[in-house]
Amino acid sequence: MKSFLSIILLLIAFSMAAQIPLKGLITDAANGEPLIGATVALKGASLGTITDFNGSFQLEAPGEDAILVVSYTGYLPMEILVGKQRAFNVTLQENASVLDEVVVVGYGSQKRSSISGAVSSINSSEITQTPVLRTEQALQGRVAGVAVAQNSGSPGSALTVRVRGTSSIGSSDPLYIVDGIPVAGLDFLNPNDIETINILKDGASAAIYGARGGNGVVLITTKSGTQNQSGKISYDAYYGSQSPWKTANLLSAREYAIISNEAHVAAGVIPLPEFSNPDALGVGTDWLGAIFKDAPMSSHQISVNGGGEKSTYALSGNVFNQNGIVGGDKAAFKRYTVRASGSNAIKEWLNIGTNISFTSLTRNGLPENNEFVTPLVRALNMDPVTPVRKSNGTYAYSRYSDTDITNPLNAIEQTYDSWHSDRVVGLVYGELNLTNDLSFRSAYSIDATFAKQDIFYPTFDLSNDPVLSDAPAGEKRAVNSVVLNNNIWKNWQWENVLNWHKTIAKRHDLSLTAGTSTSENHHDYNGGANTNLPSNDPKDAYISNTIDPIASQSAYGGADESAWQSFFGRANYTLDNKYLLSASFRADGSSKFGKNNRFGYFPSVSAGWIVSHEDFWKEGLVNFLKIRASWGQNGNDQIGNYGYTTVVYSGQNYTFGPTQVITNGSVALTSANPDLKWETIEQTDFGVDAECWDGRVSFTGDYYIKNTLDMLYAAPIPLTPGTAAPVTNVASVSNKGLELSAAYRNRDGAFKYSIGGNIAFVKNKVTSLGTGGEPIYAGRVQSANSDVTKTEVGQPIGSFFGYVTDGIFQNQQEVEIAAFQNENTAPGDIRFKDLNGDGTITSADQTYIGNPSPDFNYGMTLDCAYKGFDLGVFLQGTQGNDLYNATVRYDFNYVNRPVSVLNRWTGSGTSNFEPRVNLLDPNQNARVSDRFVENGAYLRLKTVQLGYALPKSMLKKMKFEKFRVYISAQNLFTFTKYSGMDPEIGAYGGALNAGVDRGFYPQARVLLGGVNVTF
Amino acid sequence: MKLHKLFFFIALVALFPSACQKDFLDRKPLIGSSEENFYRSEADAIAAVNAAYAPLQFEISPAGHFRWIWGDIMSDDAIKGGSGDNDANELLQLETFRGPSNTGNLESEWSADFEGIYRANVVLERVPAIEMNATLKTRILGEAHFIRAWFFYNLVTMFGGVPLADHLLAPSEYNLPRAEASQVWALIESDLKTAALSVPPRSGYAQEDLGRITKGTAQALLAKSYLWQKRWAEAEAVANEVIQSNEYQLVTDYAAIFTQAGENNAESVFEIQYMNASGGNWGKNNANEGTFTPVFQRARGQFDGYGFNIPTEDFVQEFFKEGFEDPRLKSTVFRVGDAMGDRGIFTKEATGGISYDYYPKKYFTFKNEDAPFGDPNPNGGTNDRVIRFSDVLLMHAEAAAQNGNEAGALTSLNRVRARARGNAANILPDINASGQTLIDAIYRERRIELGLEGHRFFDLVRTGRAQAVLGPLGYVDGTHNLFPVPQSQVQATNGAIRQNPGYN
Repeated sequence: MKSFLSIILLLIAFSMAAQIPLKGLITDAANGEPLIGATVALKGASLGTITDFNGSFQLEAPGEDAILVVSYTGYLPMEILVGKQRAFNVTLQENASVLDEVVVVGYGSQKRSSISGAVSSINSSEITQTPVLRTEQALQGRVAGVAVAQNSGSPGSALTVRVRGTSSIGSSDPLYIVDGIPVAGLDFLNPNDIETINILKDGASAAIYGARGGNGVVLITTKSGTQNQSGKISYDAYYGSQSPWKTANLLSAREYAIISNEAHVAAGVIPLPEFSNPDALGVGTDWLGAIFKDAPMSSHQISVNGGGEKSTYALSGNVFNQNGIVGGDKAAFKRYTVRASGSNAIKEWLNIGTNISFTSLTRNGLPENNEFVTPLVRALNMDPVTPVRKSNGTYAYSRYSDTDITNPLNAIEQTYDSWHSDRVVGLVYGELNLTNDLSFRSAYSIDATFAKQDIFYPTFDLSNDPVLSDAPAGEKRAVNSVVLNNNIWKNWQWENVLNWHKTIAKRHDLSLTAGTSTSENHHDYNGGANTNLPSNDPKDAYISNTIDPIASQSAYGGADESAWQSFFGRANYTLDNKYLLSASFRADGSSKFGKNNRFGYFPSVSAGWIVSHEDFWKEGLVNFLKIRASWGQNGNDQIGNYGYTTVVYSGQNYTFGPTQVITNGSVALTSANPDLKWETIEQTDFGVDAECWDGRVSFTGDYYIKNTLDMLYAAPIPLTPGTAAPVTNVASVSNKGLELSAAYRNRDGAFKYSIGGNIAFVKNKVTSLGTGGEPIYAGRVQSANSDVTKTEVGQPIGSFFGYVTDGIFQNQQEVEIAAFQNENTAPGDIRFKDLNGDGTITSADQTYIGNPSPDFNYGMTLDCAYKGFDLGVFLQGTQGNDLYNATVRYDFNYVNRPVSVLNRWTGSGTSNFEPRVNLLDPNQNARVSDRFVENGAYLRLKTVQLGYALPKSMLKKMKFEKFRVYISAQNLFTFTKYSGMDPEIGAYGGALNAGVDRGFYPQARVLLGGVNVTF
Repeated sequence: MKLHKLFFFIALVALFPSACQKDFLDRKPLIGSSEENFYRSEADAIAAVNAAYAPLQFEISPAGHFRWIWGDIMSDDAIKGGSGDNDANELLQLETFRGPSNTGNLESEWSADFEGIYRANVVLERVPAIEMNATLKTRILGEAHFIRAWFFYNLVTMFGGVPLADHLLAPSEYNLPRAEASQVWALIESDLKTAALSVPPRSGYAQEDLGRITKGTAQALLAKSYLWQKRWAEAEAVANEVIQSNEYQLVTDYAAIFTQAGENNAESVFEIQYMNASGGNWGKNNANEGTFTPVFQRARGQFDGYGFNIPTEDFVQEFFKEGFEDPRLKSTVFRVGDAMGDRGIFTKEATGGISYDYYPKKYFTFKNEDAPFGDPNPNGGTNDRVIRFSDVLLMHAEAAAQNGNEAGALTSLNRVRARARGNAANILPDINASGQTLIDAIYRERRIELGLEGHRFFDLVRTGRAQAVLGPLGYVDGTHNLFPVPQSQVQATNGAIRQNPGYN
């Protein structure tokens, strides 16, 4: 074969008369830097060359009528007639337009200009501009219509990601596809490995993913090597320090004693004698100050990539470490990632490749966002009179705090909860070019996670007197114990896709895609626990080291599985590069659904019109204008695996016999729903894409209506049947939204800059909750021992619901003329509004008092570069959302309070907002009311990054291709009216718990420095 | 297309069917059995009825619904206690008869009762078709009849008429409205009669079945049901059957009843079994074998408890009304200065914060009785003494007195007093009264003998004395003789379940 080719080439060479030798230099028009690896080819010929390290090339042309085509990724290509010239100095203009970028869509890719759906993209520089642990964090604020909020600032905590609103009461998490592999969660993924993220937002784009695409699809493509590129070695690293940017203002010991005394007197209880002289107590303990500590975060990455004529390769290794600002290494996240990808054209008609990653991660966990046992809620509520430590250096316990509120530092120290997982995600594929127009790709992938969780509960005792053991129950543990949980997830997927593409008569561009996908998920779990280890050293914490009898050991184990079988197809047709038409269809079979509804069918159509390509379009300010519309149906199948059948479980035990033997009982706890099926999410989208001024200005706008029909919901049933409600397809939700994004890029001169912004408005409304339509109450907060959210037809999901305050009763007369609250209501108590006017405050006087979903989310970027300097600024925020502040445990008598209590009512005219203090709170001033609803809007300076890259001239001497150093700050400023520690509170505990602050682990302010080196 | 490419393509495509068998999407649960494969063997039948016993132990999901909350805190015998008014404030509202209808406590009670009824119905509908030993089958069905009756008894005495779920409900029946109380009582009566005919007497069970429903259990609950309905003759007769069966005796030492050793003793007629070594946690319905009662009732602070169900002065004074201290007080209440075994001497200081003069003692557990492993709080091991033989004797006495058989009434009443008297000759003399005086003496004996065992509130309502006794606390007859139906159930059935009068 090779010799045959040589002969042909030789023949060609002889048949040509004189070849003209050409040489030249390709540089960047803006800064004169040489462009390395630019392609120089002869028009119409397949042969060409690439520029070397100095940006120069040599090539032979067949004649003077030959045309040189010079191209370089990200630059406008250029064609030059050879003519008499023999040496060429070519300067390329950077291409500001994004229309030619290739966008990965499901099972294929398309040029941005020819897409008729709503697809947004984020590139690697945007992803890495804000150094983060989880890729979801990098999505925040970057794309209109993708709302991201932190569920907790604890390193590695999952995030709430919503593509176009909350589409379900159940899971609204999007589908994540990494290199074609569906994955659960992105904590395994190293953000530095990502080349692009494309988000399929509208129903038509996502419909190719059928029953799993309903909440939007996030397609992640990792970096791969480039053909004909000599190997590049890169080292990227950063090191930073995290610190809290805000704490809450709480009472000092002196103030605490004053309030406590007053509360006792008001309740008719004798004040505590030790508080008789508050001034003597001084400032006391700053518990928040005590739990917050600066914490490091760092990342080191080495990557190598390149490729030959027929093969490419990319390798990377990364070590990431982040400690928590609360808990330090008790909240640490460590991750080791290795990734290898390669492709090889082993035959002219066959290309094979692989992309495999291995991640080993360890996450130490502290309890998050609950009112019971988190370090935050303890530090917020612990009385300031108790010192952190006793005089002998050991931790002190409080004489006043109750049950949950224990010494937070000791609680952190006694927490040993470590999650470790080893995960392999990878695929192998072959691409077969059957004919010039027809190709076939087969890919087999695995996603296997081996995870274990080790928990150790050591013994401790904060008692002052070891014999009396005087510490309350929460401040001592007499018997230690160890818990082990193992999980193995093994998922595989096999996909086969045929692609046919042909341009007919230069007018009709048609591509067809058809494929199958088969996958299976299997989950095994087991674990156990036992008590009484002879050693209190966590290193010895293994179940087999315990000395308690084997009978005291608990063990469990089980498994579940699910399977999918899918068929899909898509047709894209473009006429005259003006009229775009696309249609897709997917049939999804899932084992999660009963035989009655095993297969679901998901169609979509979309169309676009590139108005600016019409002949009548006058070249003017607007060079590109496309209007598009799409409609599609998707599904959401994120429910348990066996909801369609009645399952009888054992373990409903009772004890019998004189020695009380545990005897098995078995019963089904839930009634089945054999008609169970996916949620159907139907979406219509209208959009416009435009570019003006040669691509310097770009604009995209979308309006959509997204209706979730047949929403999966265990609609509450009466308790009469004695079983839990089955999940049924009864409810529906609508999301309507407007998304706008615009950017201005100027790459003309030495000073390059771009500014961009995006904003997304979304209105969420529940449209049905099944036959009875009973509202859902959820989001229980302990301080009021009551639910704070209500979800009802006509209202947004998870709206805050409670009483409306109407100032403070200033005197007894006001109490008497107002609606009756209870017999102990007194001046200084809150007047609640009698909404139904029946003269008595009852539960019927509750109403909607807030909405945790923002009216809009927005993001803004500013990037500029001059000479070697670059500056990136990124802001992000929300507007119109409320938060419910449930951090103060009003259900306890001796907790600390925010300083706002200093402005309490103490007599007529003293306060019309902050009620009197009373140990017993007879009026229940702490009930769920708008008193605790706060404005959750914020604007955050998410990232500022300043970098400097050494000039090429200097690099050449050093044999470097790139050497850049940078400093960066995250969360430098946050503008918010929220009184808590962090306004960015996701939906920890699901959509019905969104925006409830139960002692949120705040995000850190990060200052870091980094380096990017390539050679 | 070249042949080799085609061959390769076909080879790949040919793999496809081998990966997806016909039943590839048909996945059965790996844990548990699907219902169609269960209820086939004797073992399945036993497992089914055991699962119906399990809700007897339910007491805390999502909020406490202990028998002592309804029987004692609601009465004049005890107040809520806890760390202050805001600690389980709903109980404070209930016991002062300002009760909200949407408490977790009431909903939990309602939920556990109907879950128990469901499980009993599963047994009654699925077990008959199982091929198995006929005697055992009869017994299992009898046990299920009792369990169903017990949960309906809880419901009818607390809420009045409730939906009559006497079979497994189809989805179309979920909104079943409330039946008349008389219909519920009729079902209870028929279930208990069937149970009494189907299950063996206490002595007829093997040792390993100790704790199962006996003929005496069914008859004792039947007697109590008749008392509620003022069917005195039937009540006297069936209580007498229990007495005459000689299956039960009063134990000599009253104090011993409430110790670990006193569990399932000779006077135990119905006892809910709890043990401390099942390692359970605070999960739904504390689905394990332990009880929270000891930790809820122990004093706070040094005694590691939550300090609920605090005896009132009025209750304590009842023990002194005959001119001496009734010896049963020591077993019922502990006071300052009492030595409480390995938990130390009780002082007010030891409780930290809010403390009381009296604390309940019948469910007090010592440190050495704490769970040997796991969290001790959900793993209390004390059995709940629901019906003791002395209760049966007093039921008999009450029914007999109402029937005019005063001699019989006095015999039963004085049996209870004699045991309490023990060897102390100069206290608790035999009563020799008649008419209303006798009936009042029986009522008073119930308050003392069965104090803090969850009876008082129901006894007051049942005997029509609630208005007189609880009126000062806010009780209004016609409203507070019944609890409000959980408001959630009114909503969930679109009003098909009606709220009780006087509540909204």
